[in-house]
Amino acid sequence: MTLAEFIATAMVALRRNVLRSVLTTLGIIIGVGSVIVMSAIGSGASKQIDAQIASLGTNQLTIFPGSMNVGGRQGGAGSAPPLTEKDLRAIRENVTGIDAAAGNMNSGATVVVGNVNWVTQINGSSAEVQTVRDWPLKSGRFYDALEASSGRKLAVLGSTVARELFGEADPLGTMVRINNVPFQVIGVLSEKGQAGGRDQDDVVILPLSTARSRLMGRVRVPDEIGQILVKVDDRYELSEVQADIERVLRQRRRIAPNATDNFMVRNFAEFLATRNATTRTLGLLLASTAAISLIVGGIGIMNIMLVSVTERTREIGLRMAIGASGSDILGQFLTEAVLLCMAGGFLGLVLGAGIAIVISTLFAWPVYISPGVVLMAIMASASVGVIFGFVPARRASQLNPIEALRYE
Amino acid sequence: MTAAGIASPVPVVAARNLCKTYQLGEQSVHALREVSFDIQRGEFVAIMGPSGSGKSTLMNMIGALDVPSSGQLLIDGTDIGTLDRDQLAALRNHTIGFVFQQFNLLARTSALDNVKLPLTYSRPRRADATDIARSCLEKVGLGARMDHVPSQLSGGQQQRVAIARALVNSPSIILADEPTGALDSATSLEILQLFESLNAQGMTVIMVTHELDVASHARRLLRVKDGRLVEDRAVTGALTEHQS
Ligand SMILES: Nc1ncnc2c1ncn2[C@@H]1O[C@H](COP(=O)(O)OP(=O)(O)O)[C@@H](O)[C@H]1O
Ligand SMILES: [Mg+2]
Repeated sequence: MTLAEFIATAMVALRRNVLRSVLTTLGIIIGVGSVIVMSAIGSGASKQIDAQIASLGTNQLTIFPGSMNVGGRQGGAGSAPPLTEKDLRAIRENVTGIDAAAGNMNSGATVVVGNVNWVTQINGSSAEVQTVRDWPLKSGRFYDALEASSGRKLAVLGSTVARELFGEADPLGTMVRINNVPFQVIGVLSEKGQAGGRDQDDVVILPLSTARSRLMGRVRVPDEIGQILVKVDDRYELSEVQADIERVLRQRRRIAPNATDNFMVRNFAEFLATRNATTRTLGLLLASTAAISLIVGGIGIMNIMLVSVTERTREIGLRMAIGASGSDILGQFLTEAVLLCMAGGFLGLVLGAGIAIVISTLFAWPVYISPGVVLMAIMASASVGVIFGFVPARRASQLNPIEALRYE
Repeated sequence: MTAAGIASPVPVVAARNLCKTYQLGEQSVHALREVSFDIQRGEFVAIMGPSGSGKSTLMNMIGALDVPSSGQLLIDGTDIGTLDRDQLAALRNHTIGFVFQQFNLLARTSALDNVKLPLTYSRPRRADATDIARSCLEKVGLGARMDHVPSQLSGGQQQRVAIARALVNSPSIILADEPTGALDSATSLEILQLFESLNAQGMTVIMVTHELDVASHARRLLRVKDGRLVEDRAVTGALTEHQS
């Protein structure tokens, strides 16, 4: 028999008992459906996290003033001496493998234009921050190092702030009041999206010195810096550069060799990557649950195929009498099992995709159904058909034609 | 018998001291004992005998569904005892056309597809399978019923489909086991006349029956009893209980 004939024969057999066929494949439907839903949710989440990691930059380090450990007593936050412009300069001058380093101070502020106001985060940053954060402009320009150090009141808006304050209008050249201090808008940043649950575009970037003197209130030292952002040159090992930064800062801040650091160097992309790995582990766990339901589904298929072989003993005997070989019979029942499983797999695919879409719309959760998973689901259900259809098919092919023909 | 230069034709079925013994625990059941006969091409043979005499056992071997315990059974000169499962299947496919008491058609499958079925197991495959199946259905008088499924056909019509299926591979032998057992007498007569006309066209027909008036349509009668061949004679005219 040809494959087409095997399939046609199997279709006749399966149509003979449609309800039973569907019930039989329920295990496969549920198995494949849950694989699809879980992977859609899982890979949607990890795709989102991957995008966040890319937007944060995998080669970026952030340095914070850390709490100081005095005599075994952990000091409160901010008890460590602040980072300063001198620390920044020391890093720029003494650490190798740095593309750019920028100082940064954050604060909340209200931005007002006319009668529209918007509460947002302001970043007082050195001019280098654009390079460090690898953040292109949508329009206008960024301030340069000279403008940053000369106390000019210039502002670069994140795209969310620009949209909230100006709508479709062009903000360039407009004066905005930030905590009542007038600033001139010179640029609008391109969109970066969400990261770590925060809208990265809900921000205004200002020259660091201006922000420090006008908006940050009381500072502990005149050249205080909240954090130092460092972009590591691609050709250098991140961990080596990090160690070098720690060495330079310990030296500059005169930390004794056996004392702990009073600053922290963090890599956010790594942090998110760890979270991503957790998501993947969870996905793996759920996928194995799905695999178990596929196996249970396969056993159901085997059971019903054994019943089918018994029911059709006479038919098998007749086919053998008129010349079907053992492999013809084997092929016929294997085709039937595989077709049954693939039909179940396809229904599960449709069901799973449907549920994933519902979840994505109801809970605003990103879902993604990869072609690889679709292919895998179909191949997995076909394999279940081959594996669990083999025993019944083999039993059919080994029947004695005389006894099979006589079977009532 | 040994006229020089004339090769004796190979019999289509040749039984040589054919024995079949079934082992039931300690007990041996001798279903066939030392049976020998030849059936030539173009014969119409009826096999008769009481229940349990070994008719079905003999039929199974002529149909290459089973192999002898000892002795030989040759079909078209081939000793079936030397063939494996797949070779037996191929032999059945090419050489034997089975007709069963219960028709054994595939349900929910059109007459045409039922008739085509043996061709789907043939190697090499025939490209003109549908045409052959059609002409076989026409031969048995069902040219107008090709798309009907078995449940839409009468018993006689179903048996005609089965006969068309038996013919489709141009077999050497039509092997019929009680072919009229499930039919009323008028329909039985039609089926027997169909066999007669096929035989008149040169087809070898071997038929098992327990009814004398069915056997009367054949031209040779083999009687078996307790696994032995007890009678082998030509049939001329109607058989009666007295004659036998
Ligand atoms: N598979 C088998 N196993 C054991 N004994 C069998 C088997 N098939 C047939 N027999 C025995 O062989 C004898 C001949 O049987 P069978 O050929 O079916 O007779 P008939 O068809 O003439 O009624 C009977 O005694 C029967 O019980
Ligand atoms: Mg019998």
